[in-house]
Amino acid sequence: MRILNRFGYGGFFLLILLLPALLDARWLTVGTTFLIFSVVALSEDIVLGKAGMFNMGHALFFGLGAYTTAVLNSSFGWPILATLPLAVLIPALGGVLIAGPIVHLRGDYLLVTTIGFNIVFVQALQNDIFGVTGGPNGIFALDSLRLFGKNLDSPMAIYYAAFLVLLLTLWVMRNLETSKTGRALHYLREDHIAAEAIGINTRIHKIFAFALGAGLAGLAGSIYAVQYAAVSPEAFNFMQSVLFFAIVIVGGSSVPGVLIGVVVMFVLPEVFRDFATWRYFIFGFAMILAMILRPRGIWPATFGRLPKYLLGGERHGG
Amino acid sequence: MDTFLQQLVNGLTIGSIFALVALGYTMVYGVMRLINFAHGDLVAAAAFVGLTVYTQVMGGVASLTAVLVIFGLTVLVISLVGVILEQVAYRPLRQAPRLSAVVSALGASLVIQNGIMLIWGPRMLIFPGELIPAVTWNLGGVVISLIQVLILVISCALMVGLYLFVDKTRLGAAIRASSIDQDAARLMGINVNRIIMVIFIIGSSLGAIGGLFIGLYYRGITFNMGWQYGLYAFVAAIIGGIGNIPGAMLGGMLLGLFNAFIAGYVSSTWADAFTFIMLIAILIVRPTGILGERVAEKV
Repeated sequence: MRILNRFGYGGFFLLILLLPALLDARWLTVGTTFLIFSVVALSEDIVLGKAGMFNMGHALFFGLGAYTTAVLNSSFGWPILATLPLAVLIPALGGVLIAGPIVHLRGDYLLVTTIGFNIVFVQALQNDIFGVTGGPNGIFALDSLRLFGKNLDSPMAIYYAAFLVLLLTLWVMRNLETSKTGRALHYLREDHIAAEAIGINTRIHKIFAFALGAGLAGLAGSIYAVQYAAVSPEAFNFMQSVLFFAIVIVGGSSVPGVLIGVVVMFVLPEVFRDFATWRYFIFGFAMILAMILRPRGIWPATFGRLPKYLLGGERHGG
Repeated sequence: MDTFLQQLVNGLTIGSIFALVALGYTMVYGVMRLINFAHGDLVAAAAFVGLTVYTQVMGGVASLTAVLVIFGLTVLVISLVGVILEQVAYRPLRQAPRLSAVVSALGASLVIQNGIMLIWGPRMLIFPGELIPAVTWNLGGVVISLIQVLILVISCALMVGLYLFVDKTRLGAAIRASSIDQDAARLMGINVNRIIMVIFIIGSSLGAIGGLFIGLYYRGITFNMGWQYGLYAFVAAIIGGIGNIPGAMLGGMLLGLFNAFIAGYVSSTWADAFTFIMLIAILIVRPTGILGERVAEKV
């Protein structure tokens, strides 16, 4: 099983590495956006899937990262690379500030407050808050990513940059799953009262999950801003949050599941772009059908593996 | 002072529409613990169905009969859609994890919204204004129109009727029992599936009337307006305490008044933001809404 797992990931990474050779310009753009959306969906999975908090406002953090890069670059003249740390830190801090007062809310109430924050955020951008967000049109003509004096402005370079961010995200997710914090989050999702009873500080862990998810989404947002050299409020509205939410649930909140979710919910609609008017009508039916056929998602998460000493009792004290 | 009274009248009108739609959310949530995201789109569909009934069935001639037929047929069609929605999208997921049903609801919302677009087209249609005579009264500077009075009176009558129905009848008692504990209700001989069907019929009917009011009051109807009204009505249900029928009425009225005063005194470009900031503030202070939820949480 372990070998199969490693093989699966190896094959997937190889495919992603070689894919640009096969794609034309339009599909390369779709490929880059696929990688970026995968990062955002995985970061949403930390909050929604791992910690079990109904967050339907994740596009806010995605947008906060994108706008951090865009504002620092366009209004303050920072090079793109220098904005990256802040594009992680500011959304992460935003995650702490937003989650702080609301994490104690139960399920659906949390869902509606996160929708609320998302809507407030987008309206603030549209009203050109602090005079730096460019109003409803957003900010355009950003610089390209520069590294060691070289301009990385080809679509191919951005594709690989997005891939690097995805690798980083997968590494974080893997470490999270095998760490004490990850287990605490898992326990807290299953039963928050029991988790509290054995001494897990649920509040700190919930806020941490929000901050971690927000930081990763912010980094993805930064790359997204670079990809289009522009940001606009609609790209981060509440419908976008609904998309990330649905990706995690349809996929099944495991890493392969979320990636399949992005393919099903983002790449497939791109394939059927020619059927513009019928596309979302059928897409809606597909969502219903997917949930009826696979109520736990296409590739449901199985948390961790039981430790060896539990499985092979004879080797341990036997 | 004039602005204040005028916005009060406008706010109560919008508020009663929000309350009617919010009742659909809150009743479904009360029994099924499900946010029925497709409810707002049913409301939008009602306005379009009403328009078609007027032009196709009534031949575009305005009369009292026309108004009654429009309301009757639209309520019938929309409650039928509501029942089908429940059977297709929610019933198979009764035992599934809760979020699966939420995603199914989002899918159903897309289906209805795009269904409206495929049938009636993507452009804004104008609801007939001649259906209700454009009578207005000027009470010391405050303008009140006949349609505002009708919306307010009919909504209040419906809400009182619903409250009495749920509180005083046998079927109402069965609804309350199902929302406290479905399994226990089933053991008492209540057919919970039938109760859920009744709830969808009532919720969709109230939503349909709300949708027709939106058409009559605002005139312009678009295929995607369900999201906006649905979200506001849902917020109203949450403010009042979800699953709580008087709460939905209170929440709807409060939200309508709040919106009208923001639009009248502050600015309309920040209206959504203020509404949601109020919602967040209310939930931080009272985590289960103003009147509290009527939903049992088991530990």
